[in-house]
Amino acid sequence: MAGKGGATPATYSPSPTTNRKKKPPIFKEDWVRPDGRGFHQCRPAFFRTGAVNAASGSAYAEFGNTKVIVSVFGPRESKKAMMYSDIGRLNCNVSFTTFATPIRGQGSDHKEYCAMLHKALEGAIILETFPKTTVDVFALVLESSGSDLPVVISCASLALADAGIMMYDIVASVSVSCFNKNLVIDPILEEEIGQDGSLMITCMPSRYEITQLTVTGEWSTTKINEGMQLCLDACAKLAKIMRSCLKEVASDSQE
Amino acid sequence: MGLSNASEDLSSEMEVDAFRRLFPLRYFERHLAESIRPDGRPLGKARETSIFLGAVASANGSALVKIGSTTMLTAIKMEVMTPSLESPDEGCLAIDFHMPPICSPIVRPGRPAEASPVVSKQLSDTISSSRMIDLKELSLVGGKAAWMAYLNAAFSIMQDIYCLDADGALFDAALISAVAALSHLQIPAVAMNDDGKIVLVSGEDGQKPVNKEKRKLTLRSIPFSLTCILHKNYILADPTAEEESIMETHVTIVLDTSGQLISLYKPGGPALAYTSAIQDCVGLTGQRVKELKSYLDKENSAMEVVV
Repeated sequence: MAGKGGATPATYSPSPTTNRKKKPPIFKEDWVRPDGRGFHQCRPAFFRTGAVNAASGSAYAEFGNTKVIVSVFGPRESKKAMMYSDIGRLNCNVSFTTFATPIRGQGSDHKEYCAMLHKALEGAIILETFPKTTVDVFALVLESSGSDLPVVISCASLALADAGIMMYDIVASVSVSCFNKNLVIDPILEEEIGQDGSLMITCMPSRYEITQLTVTGEWSTTKINEGMQLCLDACAKLAKIMRSCLKEVASDSQE
Repeated sequence: MGLSNASEDLSSEMEVDAFRRLFPLRYFERHLAESIRPDGRPLGKARETSIFLGAVASANGSALVKIGSTTMLTAIKMEVMTPSLESPDEGCLAIDFHMPPICSPIVRPGRPAEASPVVSKQLSDTISSSRMIDLKELSLVGGKAAWMAYLNAAFSIMQDIYCLDADGALFDAALISAVAALSHLQIPAVAMNDDGKIVLVSGEDGQKPVNKEKRKLTLRSIPFSLTCILHKNYILADPTAEEESIMETHVTIVLDTSGQLISLYKPGGPALAYTSAIQDCVGLTGQRVKELKSYLDKENSAMEVVV
């Protein structure tokens, strides 16, 4: 019995075929997105707060098949090793489930996501309201289907609101992919694999301020401007959905 | 008059909260003396339980289970392995239990939570002891085709259980979730390609089918568990996280659907487990098994209708 349970032999996943890993065909005029969306159309967004009872605040988000759950703990005592700080601290962590990607355990090492989430939220939180303490934001990606980080950021800002952390504005995030000279918003996994470049914007829509801008690949100035405008418009719409989600919870609790 | 009434109500409410926080044990014992718990449950009743199959689209089998606030998400991926020499006609089942930092204030990122390997081990032992799954069914050896003689492969069930919200009775919820995911599991149709590797059937040339269609796993007797707290002369079924942290003697009993005892786990604690107390726990667990069996059957029936 112990022998069987011991060392698990090496395994591999019976994936469809190796050929599918090739780059999808280059963008053509008659090209249609795999899920039938228009180029400037986002996936349907679903948000719910209060997903985790044990947390001070939490939120669950779905963008198509990308599913994310975020918990916020605190403000609570900082670790003793940390130096005194007269403003609050923000601590972020993003992790993936082993089954988040089609191949088990693959592609779940995104260590830079923690730092990017931290930078995205830091500018929106009023840190002076909780001196000496720490707010922990933990995110878990349950299913990964492209554009994971923007979903994590949007969901995290909703979780912070659920926890009652004071913020200047909610934070919405959207990304766009570049194929040659054409822009595709909110890309799914298949589109991300074959993209030439990507651009992600995190902003506070009411204040029209950007907390984070990430560009990869080669972009011309006009293309960046076009991409930014596309994302900002999408963020404004996303923020409306997020606000209505928070209002629903508020009205429910009043009843 | 109205103002004084309002302030009185508020002050009494604050007093109750303060009493609960400062003297939690006495708070609970006051309730126990009246045969009730702070959340309104009788002593022997478990919390509301719900099972949802197919929560993860990309997995071969998955389940989301909630007991009260405790939430478990299980997903299964089928992988292909070379069987070991000791058991060449068997596949294997690997179970991992994860407690990500989102589920509880006491879990930190980095090193795994203390409870995680304990529950993981309990789950592996329970499922292997119950012999719920015939590992020979996972083998891909023994087909009739001549070329199958060279095939030396078997399925490996990789099961990952994630605790999304920790509010007591983690093992109970994890076991139901694991069992529900296995009942939802679809073994995929696979073929051998020209390289001798096992791939999913996609209709391409050069593929030799190994098993021709998707099929369900045959589950024999299914184990279910119930955790109880022993405190003085009381037995509390299905404790919350608060109850677990205040009262120290926990007993977890696992029975299968045929009424056989699979596991009894009592990790210390000051209360002595007399025979009568254990028998009472077994009785409560027996009722719980019938209840959970009907939930799972109902959910599986619903899935079959949809498919």
